[in-house]
Amino acid sequence: MSRPYSDDELLAVLLSREVRDREVTACGAISMIPAAGMLLARETHAPDADLIILGSTAFMPFHTSRQFHFLCQRGDLGLFFLSGVQIDRFGNYNLHLLGKDVDRPEVRFPGGYGGGMIFYAARRTVMFRTEHTLRCFVPKVDFISSCGNSPEEVRRFGRLTRVHTPLATLVNTVPPGELRLGSVHPPYTLDDVVQRTGFDLGVSGEPPRTPEPTAEELRVLRQVVRRIMIETDTYGDWAAKNIQAA
Amino acid sequence: MGVPYVPVMGLVGSDLLRRRDDMKVLPDPFEPTKKTVVAKALRPDIAMFHARRADRAGNVDIGIHNDDVILAEASRHVIVTVEEVVDSLSFKDAKGTFLPGLSVEAVVHAPFGAHPSGCVGAYPVDKAHMQRYMEAARSDEAFAAYVAEVVFGVASHAEYLARFVPAEWQNGSAAARKTRSA
Repeated sequence: MSRPYSDDELLAVLLSREVRDREVTACGAISMIPAAGMLLARETHAPDADLIILGSTAFMPFHTSRQFHFLCQRGDLGLFFLSGVQIDRFGNYNLHLLGKDVDRPEVRFPGGYGGGMIFYAARRTVMFRTEHTLRCFVPKVDFISSCGNSPEEVRRFGRLTRVHTPLATLVNTVPPGELRLGSVHPPYTLDDVVQRTGFDLGVSGEPPRTPEPTAEELRVLRQVVRRIMIETDTYGDWAAKNIQAA
Repeated sequence: MGVPYVPVMGLVGSDLLRRRDDMKVLPDPFEPTKKTVVAKALRPDIAMFHARRADRAGNVDIGIHNDDVILAEASRHVIVTVEEVVDSLSFKDAKGTFLPGLSVEAVVHAPFGAHPSGCVGAYPVDKAHMQRYMEAARSDEAFAAYVAEVVFGVASHAEYLARFVPAEWQNGSAAARKTRSA
């Protein structure tokens, strides 16, 4: 599918639009696309956003993980970006393993305590996935690393709000606490998304089309954000390769 | 922190919680209609980690691996291996986070002690060795052979350095080390 921007660039733009000015936004380690999106937001509509890019040195204000942990627990984290190997209908994600037998998994992933905590503590969590396929968007994840929606009596500051992929944006709709189709990214169609999603997206009628990256968003991403990432060694190698040079 | 347990908001409903007996979901004692996770403190008997520099009193310049401080505070005994032992080190001398000697039981001079992992500022991850490790880890037989050769097959630290740490790292400049990792 040919577009004048790559999937990575599209996702960076979509994530940047989630960032609010004067809010604390964070992403975990090995999070190149969110890092690009956060920097794009800061260079466009959110100049006073506080950015925490875990694993970087330039955008990491803390010296121990304890400080970040309690920032989250206090409710001071506005937005967190997260990905998952599998994501299911109920907004659960899996970063632990694949296979039906937890003790003999077919594949094991890094797992993680942090995401499972932040999924509750961040005011909003936005997920992204670089592929939109049946193996990723499953009816039920093999292992629940954290759950998208929890009972009322469980203390929680926030939850999953949206999931962005190269094809579409899904919205965590509460109630009933299920992912529904929000919009489709041109030139993909509703049928493309339905065919590649392993659960019912609750679609009725033609869904909205996602506003495409603007010329200005792409210009800042390619001219400014790319340079910042290279100069600050914030996934500089990735930026040089995956964000088109202006 | 040294407290017996801590409340944690999050994780409820995850399969992780189902498989752990050191985390429970309990009512908040001050607001019983709300529930949170309570996590039991981890108190390791022994913590061992590698750092850049330490002095003879056990003061350690942790560098960027700051969470080693949390590990040291939680553990009953702390052993730190270092690239370099200096005569004295205070928090003003540290280039990274400082761990006071009162938490440290033993310092061991072990150059390239992080190998095949890296030590920030000294040498990078040995990617060629890591690749070999990953391949060995695919089967029990290959892993046993790896351990027999790399761990139990060496008589001394000097022999390990001679056989497994790239010679150019041991004599060469930081630039030469960086080139190999690229």
